[in-house]
Amino acid sequence: MGQTTAQKIIARAAGRDAVEAGEYVTVSPDYTCCQELAWQTRKRMMKEIGTNRVARPDKVIMVVDHTTSAAMGSAYHLNHREMKEFAASNGVDNFFGAGSGLRHLVLTEKGFARPGLLVFSDEPNIASIGALGALNIAVSSEVVATQIADENWMLVPKSARISLQGRLGPGVMMRDVAQILIRDYATTDTLSQSCIEFVGPAIADLSLDERQSLLACAYHTGADTALMPVDEAALAYVQDRAQGRPYHLLESDPDAIFAHEASYDLAEVSPMVTVPPELFAAVKVEEVAGIPIHQAALGSCANNRIEDMRAAAAILRHYRVNRGVTMYITPGSREVYAQAAAEGLLNAFMEAGATVLAPGCTTCWGYEGVLSDGEVQISTHQMNYHGRNGSRSARSFLASPYVVAASAVTGKIADPRPLLPHVPEKWIPVFRTGHAPGEESDTAGSPA
Amino acid sequence: MTQIRGRVWKFGDNISADNGIIQYSQVPDLDTFDIPKLKAMCFAELQPKFRAEVRPGDVVVAGRNFGHHSHQHACVAMKECGVAACIVESTDSAFIRKALNIGLPIIVCPGVTKLVDQGTELAADLSTGEVRNVATGATLRARPFSERMIDIWRAGSFSRAMRQKLTSHG
Repeated sequence: MGQTTAQKIIARAAGRDAVEAGEYVTVSPDYTCCQELAWQTRKRMMKEIGTNRVARPDKVIMVVDHTTSAAMGSAYHLNHREMKEFAASNGVDNFFGAGSGLRHLVLTEKGFARPGLLVFSDEPNIASIGALGALNIAVSSEVVATQIADENWMLVPKSARISLQGRLGPGVMMRDVAQILIRDYATTDTLSQSCIEFVGPAIADLSLDERQSLLACAYHTGADTALMPVDEAALAYVQDRAQGRPYHLLESDPDAIFAHEASYDLAEVSPMVTVPPELFAAVKVEEVAGIPIHQAALGSCANNRIEDMRAAAAILRHYRVNRGVTMYITPGSREVYAQAAAEGLLNAFMEAGATVLAPGCTTCWGYEGVLSDGEVQISTHQMNYHGRNGSRSARSFLASPYVVAASAVTGKIADPRPLLPHVPEKWIPVFRTGHAPGEESDTAGSPA
Repeated sequence: MTQIRGRVWKFGDNISADNGIIQYSQVPDLDTFDIPKLKAMCFAELQPKFRAEVRPGDVVVAGRNFGHHSHQHACVAMKECGVAACIVESTDSAFIRKALNIGLPIIVCPGVTKLVDQGTELAADLSTGEVRNVATGATLRARPFSERMIDIWRAGSFSRAMRQKLTSHG
């Protein structure tokens, strides 16, 4: 029987020829990746297990990303220090301290996320590495157990195939597509315990940042994880950063079994806003436009890459942040931060009246940019439940970088499409492989 | 012995872990487990009687997408309240791991919400996957736990199971 890409990746890590969907297997992941928040829990687990030695230091990646600096009154300074010491005493070279960026971006930028590799991490949204053909499996604090034993159990997920056609219209991003998928799937269990394989002609046309944006949200549809095909653009990125480390180009067999198949036309998508407190409550921006906001935030693993910065900058280069709005912008990594600086985006943010924070998760989980009673925020964050960003009576709307920037400058939830025609075309990103703003681009193409 | 038998607390579809089983926004942080507070929060907004009337060994039965978007605190809250198992129409694999890590089995069993009602006596066997309404004898077959998972459940936590394994292998 044919195997899906996910099954082939898991079979490799299990030392098997093939695995079946629904089967429990023991695997040795290629990497484990973890952050700092649960360090004290992991320490307690190591004490209970009776060892604090990792089996394969070369497979361990530790990143301080939730707390970019240890603020006065927070206990996280201890986690920063103890994780650093733990890495040093175990010979773990791949420790990335505060301000390095999110695990999602560290994994791709430093060449850890490579095709055919299995990564156990402490977060389902790290499925973003599926843009480079690496499979993320979310575990818990027991990530430490995998580090000690170099193996763990896992369920082989079912596979679902979602085909993407067409091309995004002006002012629309893959974030909007993600919010539509979450709306369509999150209250069903169609994708439960599945790996989504995104396929279709639209993907080859999408930049790697836009691919990662969609994949980072895939878990909220109910799926365990997600993957995309490794095309020339993905492979070129990997080869640039792999430093000779191995990878495995795998693809689903023609007779592989997909438990669910669906198709979406990107050309039909328009800007969306997800209304708190539910993640599935996505509506067209027109339905909520005009709601006054107090805060706007760009960041989170869904939208903190360079193209997200470019999209927000396209609007913020031309308009100022509204007087009544506080705006925070968090680049996803040092590389994104430096690139944004090189392109003049950080200047544009400053001149527009936004605040740029150090690379990390920061505002997404309410470590910074805390909301008080009754305040309204629009952000590119991943969650919108009561109290996620401070007061339980505050409301957090979720949207794309374009919608967030348009709302920041108008002071109320706003459709970016009426603003964009006023922005010089050279500032508007095209979200396609190999194009940055200002470069000559073929914008006249039709959906493949 | 891989059997669990208990009285059912029944919940609906799409019960979120962080904004349903508990209110994660009231948890101080990811690393802090305030047990009395977690117990007090457990299902408080969905079933006010739960906290006062739950007994050790009771079983939670829930619908689709149980515990999605989770932090481990929701699992700790249920375990500390005495919940012996959750038997659900569907959930995600990460939530199953988080729960099993602290010795709480979550069994995915499509059809279970039609098999039992609030207060029904339910029996489940982790090794066979059989889920049974004790009164009517009606049964469903869920995916059995692997031996590895049963070892973790028996030991009461992932850490303890791992310690036992490391010790027994010298």
